[in-house]
Amino acid sequence: MSKVIACYKWVADETDIKVNADSTLDISKAKGKISDYDRNAIEAAVQAAGALGGTAVALTFGTPKAKQSLKDALSRGPAEACYINAEEAARADGAVTAKALAAAVKKIENVSLVVCGEGASDTYARQTAPRIGAVLDWPVITSVSSVRFDGNALIAVRRLEDCMQTVKSELPAVIAVLPEMNSAPIPGLKAVLSAGKKPVTEFKAGDLGVDFAPKTTVSALKAYAMNRKSVIFSEGEIADKVKELTAALRKEGVL
Amino acid sequence: MGDENFDAIVIGAGPAGIACAYTLAKQGKTVLVIERGDSAGSKNVTGGRFYTYALEMVDRGLTAEAALERKVTHEQIMMLSGNRAISVDYYDPSFNRVGGTAQSFTILRAVFDPWFAGKAEEMGATVVCGIRVDDVIEKEGKIVGVIAGGDEMYANVVVAADGVNSFIAQKAGLIKDIESHAVAVGVKEIIELPAQTIEQRFNLKSEEGAARLILGCTEGIHGGGFLYTNKESISLGAVFMPEEVARHGRSLPEMFQEFKMHPAICPLLEGGKTVEYGGHLVAEEGYRGIPKKLYREGFLVCGEAAGFVVNLGYTIRGLDLAVLSGLAAAKAILEAASPAKVGPAYMQQLEAVKLLPIMRALDGFTDALDIPNLFGTYPKVAADLFQKLYAVDGSVPDHLRKQIWGVVKGNKLTLRQLFADGIRGMKAL
Amino acid sequence: MAGIYVYSDKKDLAAELVGFAKGCGKRAIVLTFDERAAKDLSNSGADKVCLLKGDSELVENYGKSIAHLLAEQGAELFVVGATVSGRDIAARVAGYLDCAMVSEASSITYTDGKLVTERMMYGGSVQQSEVLEGLCVVTVRAGKFEAISGAAEVTTLEISADTRTTLVERKDIVKEGADLSVAERIVCVGMALDKREDLQIAHDLAAVLGAEVGCTRGVAEEKHWLPVEQYIGMSGAVVKPKLYLSMGVSGQIQHVFGIRDSQIIVAVNTDPKAPIFKAADYGIVGDMYQVIPLLTKTLKGA
Ligand SMILES: Cc1cc2nc3c(=O)[nH]c(=O)nc-3n(C[C@H](O)[C@H](O)[C@H](O)COP(=O)(O)OP(=O)(O)OC[C@H]3O[C@@H](n4cnc5c(N)ncnc54)[C@H](O)[C@@H]3O)c2cc1C
Ligand SMILES: Cc1cc2nc3c(=O)[nH]c(=O)nc-3n(C[C@H](O)[C@H](O)[C@H](O)COP(=O)(O)OP(=O)(O)OC[C@H]3O[C@@H](n4cnc5c(N)ncnc54)[C@H](O)[C@@H]3O)c2cc1C
Ligand SMILES: Nc1ncnc2c1ncn2[C@@H]1O[C@H](COP(=O)(O)O)[C@@H](O)[C@H]1O
Repeated sequence: MSKVIACYKWVADETDIKVNADSTLDISKAKGKISDYDRNAIEAAVQAAGALGGTAVALTFGTPKAKQSLKDALSRGPAEACYINAEEAARADGAVTAKALAAAVKKIENVSLVVCGEGASDTYARQTAPRIGAVLDWPVITSVSSVRFDGNALIAVRRLEDCMQTVKSELPAVIAVLPEMNSAPIPGLKAVLSAGKKPVTEFKAGDLGVDFAPKTTVSALKAYAMNRKSVIFSEGEIADKVKELTAALRKEGVL
Repeated sequence: MGDENFDAIVIGAGPAGIACAYTLAKQGKTVLVIERGDSAGSKNVTGGRFYTYALEMVDRGLTAEAALERKVTHEQIMMLSGNRAISVDYYDPSFNRVGGTAQSFTILRAVFDPWFAGKAEEMGATVVCGIRVDDVIEKEGKIVGVIAGGDEMYANVVVAADGVNSFIAQKAGLIKDIESHAVAVGVKEIIELPAQTIEQRFNLKSEEGAARLILGCTEGIHGGGFLYTNKESISLGAVFMPEEVARHGRSLPEMFQEFKMHPAICPLLEGGKTVEYGGHLVAEEGYRGIPKKLYREGFLVCGEAAGFVVNLGYTIRGLDLAVLSGLAAAKAILEAASPAKVGPAYMQQLEAVKLLPIMRALDGFTDALDIPNLFGTYPKVAADLFQKLYAVDGSVPDHLRKQIWGVVKGNKLTLRQLFADGIRGMKAL
Repeated sequence: MAGIYVYSDKKDLAAELVGFAKGCGKRAIVLTFDERAAKDLSNSGADKVCLLKGDSELVENYGKSIAHLLAEQGAELFVVGATVSGRDIAARVAGYLDCAMVSEASSITYTDGKLVTERMMYGGSVQQSEVLEGLCVVTVRAGKFEAISGAAEVTTLEISADTRTTLVERKDIVKEGADLSVAERIVCVGMALDKREDLQIAHDLAAVLGAEVGCTRGVAEEKHWLPVEQYIGMSGAVVKPKLYLSMGVSGQIQHVFGIRDSQIIVAVNTDPKAPIFKAADYGIVGDMYQVIPLLTKTLKGA
């Protein structure tokens, strides 16, 4: 039976990131989550596996911390999970990530489709899917808003800035899906309970034969400073607040 | 059914539910805990101080591993009136030593609850977060399972540990929708500050902490404030009777904001950053608020769902009682010879772990706290009196008795009322 | 030919990227698949314009060949306009070259011969600087660099395509609203909107302001009350109006990312703690159902 892979990333929740007084960042206390759009990717892979009569496999490349994501991912429907557990993931760039994921796809064997989210919530680099495709030398379709299958062909609708493109490709292929693709359902109780019993394959960095040296060096990471006036009218009658606002906007010359 | 039949399903991963699940799992029972929050404690900003004896009763040595904040060595009471404040600080380093474990700690629920839930998982319990229990399943008069996240799940016994105003106990027909006079509304903020700043402002040694109850910050409305020092944050909160707030034409956020801005409170928070804000109900009736029936066949209620909380004015105790009741529920499930005997065994266990005796003993406080003057007039009387005593301007002071009387009269209190409140307070205790 | 290679399916953006390359004091070589664009770009100040010709209508299918071309020519940098297909090609090229890539850089400079980039992370709350060495790929949004002028020769190059993916159909998106990216004033509707009909209060205000109506993601993607092209933010439109006024928008970072270049930001929200107020110049804490109609009336009266 063919396999459909859902690539998902375990990321720090951006709403938990603390900004220190010197505008450096503290990400250590942030909770983890499955990158938002990857929930749609997982759902898309589960649906595609259904349509292709295959099985969906959740695949993630992360630090040992990402282990806690497996149950969450599996509760969303894939039959099994595959976890590349490597400290190197903390420093991985797009090149390393794509190579690691592609190597795992090869190990899993018999893969007909790899589904990625359009962009990860932390990097939003939108490069992983095309890069995986390049490493595997498979066809890639990005910005996918819907997909269907016809034998060994995949027909996808892509959203570009000014048009919708329908393209046809052969399997195996890699796709990156937009969140509009589906509404990733919240897993039910039974799904969550059964997740704990599904098989998980773990790869260590050394198992994959991939060079984990990143191609980019991060030289600084700092909070974006928001410099706005923040004049907020909060007290008093609405009519007065509206008057104050219109007066202020007139003064700014934007009316 | 096979897979889906547990020995017990616990609803709610608060201290009550986890204490129950931990104890059951430790004895090899299959337990499923269902929590609606994304993680244990994520929906719960309440509480701040936790008495450790309860944890030790669940398992000796558990406190040493627990995710706690500061040992409470400074017990404080503060009375506010207008811009004025009176503070009492009872420092007792021995609270730090009882058998090697401090008597009480401040805690953050978002840290403590996940730790405790993790412990239960280590014991073999299954904790599922992010799913709400919507109903109980009843068959032939017995509760046999729950409906959650669109699925049915079965168990020999269902334990409702879903907190105040228990929706599940209502569904099981044990309690009615709560009446507004039986609950107060609590609001709480967690304000981050560096550990050093906290230690300076509250005169604390490292690891030591202060627990402060505040009266007179509610404009005469039944209620009070609290302030707990955590490692690197302050938990500041206030509890109000919602009806009275509405009657005064005020809103909760507004009153809480004013409380924060009080000149005796504001400097304590200066430079801090609010990282969490939340509101929560708290049961107010103490022993009398406990529902008549705490079980049905296949069903137990514990924790604040069962009304196990006492608000004493100088301290709120709900967390320790929740743990005790969870423990009692687990023990009952473990020892009962037949399903029908679980309920009565639970009632016995509630006595054995001393939960009901504690609540009975503290019963009178509810009445004492019912004295309306306690929340406005009396703090003002005290402040007026201190003002008279401490104000020195070169004029000839009145005789002390006259000063006191002047203050009492000035606050439109009659001797009769003072006397009546006094008696009421005494009787209550 | 060594130098900076430039590609964008939007020719104005390609011209801006040539401006960047020349600004770095490097040779600029433009790649394009479009004959008209090639002609126009021959006056962009580039050193060379390569008109690429092959068997596929899908430019993405040339990723592998472009990678070969760059390697062969000794390219220093491949800078690509950050559009849907630009990003796609860029990442494929980087994948085939196994080289560094920075997506949507907010700045690129050469410092001590090394390329230094900045970009946003975590929905726009964090700025990351990276140092890149060797041949690498960077994508850039429109509007970051100035175009220049100057003549260049156009050469045509046959290039092979991966033909496993073919175009079946292409349908233009009929834009229902105006192009938000050039709008002067925008009224933005958030998830606080109760029902579709209530959009009217936004349209009424927009009418007196001469504004376009935009929205947050949920309004378009969950409720489908406005077309997806009308949502603003990191995954939607990035706008830079004189006036942006939001109603019932919480101001999560991914949305705020899209409005940061606005001249004046105004927010109406019932929650005084809503993050949008930190991102705003002016705000009213209040119910939009009361505030907005009153604002419309006040502006009409004036
Ligand atoms: C402002 C305030 C301050 C307080 N301060 C203190 C203090 O300092 N010390 C102290 O000891 N006590 C304090 N209390 C009381 C104390 O917080 C409670 O008594 C205690 O939390 C009760 O524990 P519990 O486990 O019964 O319920 P909770 O802690 O309320 O836990 C119930 C859990 O059940 C979950 N739940 C609810 N419904 C469902 C459902 N349908 N399905 C699934 N899950 C559900 C909830 O999300 C929650 O996690 C305070 C209370 C308030 C309001
Ligand atoms: C990877 C990623 C990319 C994303 N990209 C985008 C993007 O490009 N664009 C985007 O918009 N979002 C994006 N999001 C989603 C974003 O995080 C927020 O969820 C979204 O912007 C919230 O929309 P909202 O403010 O309309 O709704 P909500 O967050 O639900 O806020 C509604 C607000 O309305 C207020 N309110 C309620 N009633 C009233 C009333 N009567 N009057 C006034 N105020 C009221 C509330 O206080 C609240 O603040 C992205 C998320 C992710 C993870
Ligand atoms: N570490 C990772 N593990 C698994 N999948 C990933 C990882 N990083 C990125 N992806 C996938 O690639 C998509 C795009 O990521 P990015 O290119 O970083 O924006 C994500 O939505 C995931 O589907």
